Amino acid sequence: MANAADAHHDEHHDHYPSFFSRWFCSTNHKDIGTVYMFVALFAAIIGGGMSWYLRLELLEPGIQYIEDFQFYNVLLTAHGFIMIFFVVMPGTIGGFGNWFVPLMIGAPDMAFPRMNNISLWLLIVAFIMLLISAFVGGGMGTGWTAYPPLSNGIFHPSAAVDFGILALHLAGASSILGAINFIVTIFNMRAPGMTLHKMPLFVWSMLVTAFLLVLALPVLAGGLTMLLTDRNFGTHFFDPAGGGDPILWQHLFWFFGHPEVYIIILPAFGIISQIVSTFSKKPVFGYLGMAYAMAAIGAVGFVVWAHHMYTVGLDVDTRAYFTAATMVIAVPTGVKIFSWLATMWGGSIEFKTPMLYAFGFIFLFVVGGVTGVTLANSSADLVFHDTYFVVAHFHYVMAIAAIFAMFAGWFYWIGKMSGKQYNETWGKIQFWVFFIGVNVLFFPQHFAGLAGMPRRIPDYPDAYAGWNYVSSIGALITAIGTLIFFVILFRTYAAGEKAAQNPWGEGATTLEWHVPSPAPFHTFEDQPDMSGKAPAE
Amino acid sequence: MTNARLKNVRSAMVLFTVVAGMVGLAFASVPLYRIFCQVTGLGGTPGVQAHAPETATDIDFKVRFDANVNPGMPWRFKPVQREVKLKLGEERLAFYEATNLSDKPITGTAVFNVTPLKAGQFFVKIDCFCFTEQTLQPGETVDMPVSFYVDPAIYEEKNTRDVKTITLSYTFFPAQDGPEKVSAVQSSPAPGNKG
Repeated sequence: MANAADAHHDEHHDHYPSFFSRWFCSTNHKDIGTVYMFVALFAAIIGGGMSWYLRLELLEPGIQYIEDFQFYNVLLTAHGFIMIFFVVMPGTIGGFGNWFVPLMIGAPDMAFPRMNNISLWLLIVAFIMLLISAFVGGGMGTGWTAYPPLSNGIFHPSAAVDFGILALHLAGASSILGAINFIVTIFNMRAPGMTLHKMPLFVWSMLVTAFLLVLALPVLAGGLTMLLTDRNFGTHFFDPAGGGDPILWQHLFWFFGHPEVYIIILPAFGIISQIVSTFSKKPVFGYLGMAYAMAAIGAVGFVVWAHHMYTVGLDVDTRAYFTAATMVIAVPTGVKIFSWLATMWGGSIEFKTPMLYAFGFIFLFVVGGVTGVTLANSSADLVFHDTYFVVAHFHYVMAIAAIFAMFAGWFYWIGKMSGKQYNETWGKIQFWVFFIGVNVLFFPQHFAGLAGMPRRIPDYPDAYAGWNYVSSIGALITAIGTLIFFVILFRTYAAGEKAAQNPWGEGATTLEWHVPSPAPFHTFEDQPDMSGKAPAE
Repeated sequence: MTNARLKNVRSAMVLFTVVAGMVGLAFASVPLYRIFCQVTGLGGTPGVQAHAPETATDIDFKVRFDANVNPGMPWRFKPVQREVKLKLGEERLAFYEATNLSDKPITGTAVFNVTPLKAGQFFVKIDCFCFTEQTLQPGETVDMPVSFYVDPAIYEEKNTRDVKTITLSYTFFPAQDGPEKVSAVQSSPAPGNKG
């Protein structure tokens, strides 16, 4: 990579490009990571704002604020798309992944820095397209699953769904390019002596995630293309009038969609592993088991997709298989949970904000995992399907858990990324407000769901009023917690104390703590020799 | 290109091939899915055979008939008989009656399945009007035959032994390349799930 001209250029660590070249034409993994995180924060305000508006409408029975039900559907669809594709994925994969994968493996940058830039800008264009879709002819009110016939030309005749499809195509292309970049970087550019079995677990999590992206997203792209041609060019992939089958879309979508939820949560596993190890001042328990548990989750994740569609009329033997296969996932996830606990066991635990968030993550993930095993039963799921019980389940296990991991990662690495340290007291206050908020928000949804409250409706019978009221109060507390986070974020940049090279002490052993804070523009041009070092050090 | 760069590009090429392969698999899933449903009878897809088994059993069975027309299609379509009683393995002929209510010739094609869905692989058609497109002249009424039998294996399989009645359902859609195709399809709401 380093030809003569580059080498000469790279000698000057303080030589930054001009503002436009640095942030808009960047090929530097740290700057691209920063822009990704900015995109995720910006999208989180929009996607989160939508959900708070939905909770405001659901505060009481009856219709108070959102009189146009299609608009309600548009909001919840956009909330799902934005949170998945434009908050969690850019935050964990684009943000922390770009920042810390090269640093942790001792590489000077990603393997394809310019492709990295393309990934970033494809994602931003995708986000703009998705926002446009909300303003075209009534918007896309299909839910993030976009099932036909609701998503076909009869029920969504305007171009809104086409804009949504193209937005997902672009976001998918962005993620595929990013994933290829990560795999090549991790396979080919590790520091000498850093074998695959010595990589930090965050790098392992990104490797598995990248493989899931490469295998799952093309299937979504194929399905979306069929939906697009069904809508515009007279094909009948999903239209029974021409011999097609709408259930085929559900198979294709969930063949992508189930690995997608692991794409969201695996990087979170990686972040939590680093943090639990750092603040317990111990290497992570069962390192190889942790790494291969993630690989197993990724592999099994491809053969369980139909547990999202137990109600479409699957054969009883088919449902028995998918129930059993789904429950198998509890084994590697259990390995991870117990290994985190074993890492803490006997450790000298320090309750800094990142560690609080790691604890919060484990709690939320276990709660969501337990309801996941419940829902895995196809017979029970016939009752739970499309109720708020499912909403509570996936927000616990995947959505809020991933947000907790992102907060954990932000508090853990902000000193390294910005050179400024956050305020510990306010960090802890923010954690507790947010933790109480999300639990008050989502726990009552289990009760509403068990009582039969359906998903995706703007109004509900009075019987569900109580728990919905509590849930909306929780949304308010969560909103306050989010506001406190943005105050901390602003204060850290404006008036944060200078961060030490390693603010966390002996527990923080990975390579990013061996470079100054903030990490210099160029790092590891001379790769460190890792032979003889312990795993993940 | 340096060696390291060449190695990176090679790895990326392999991965791009994997991506292309997965896109190909997504499209290959369309015919594979259809074949899978036909072979296994999953989702209530009936089987097709040239003739019924030589010997029928003496186990009583009932087959009901259901008829639907896409609202965009000006046809009347109904079964001549509501149900038939037969023995497992016995070949039967049943009729549907279709009338073109419009003043134009219309070509239709029928989509079909059976319920309960798990009985799909045991309901076997020998010949059916639904195998081809049907054209009706203005005002014309025709009887449309379907001959079938129920595979006695349905009684031996433990998951399907409880099934004593199968409902055969058809939905007529305007044929996609027929004279009525565009206006009829676009003005009609989607059919129910007859997958």
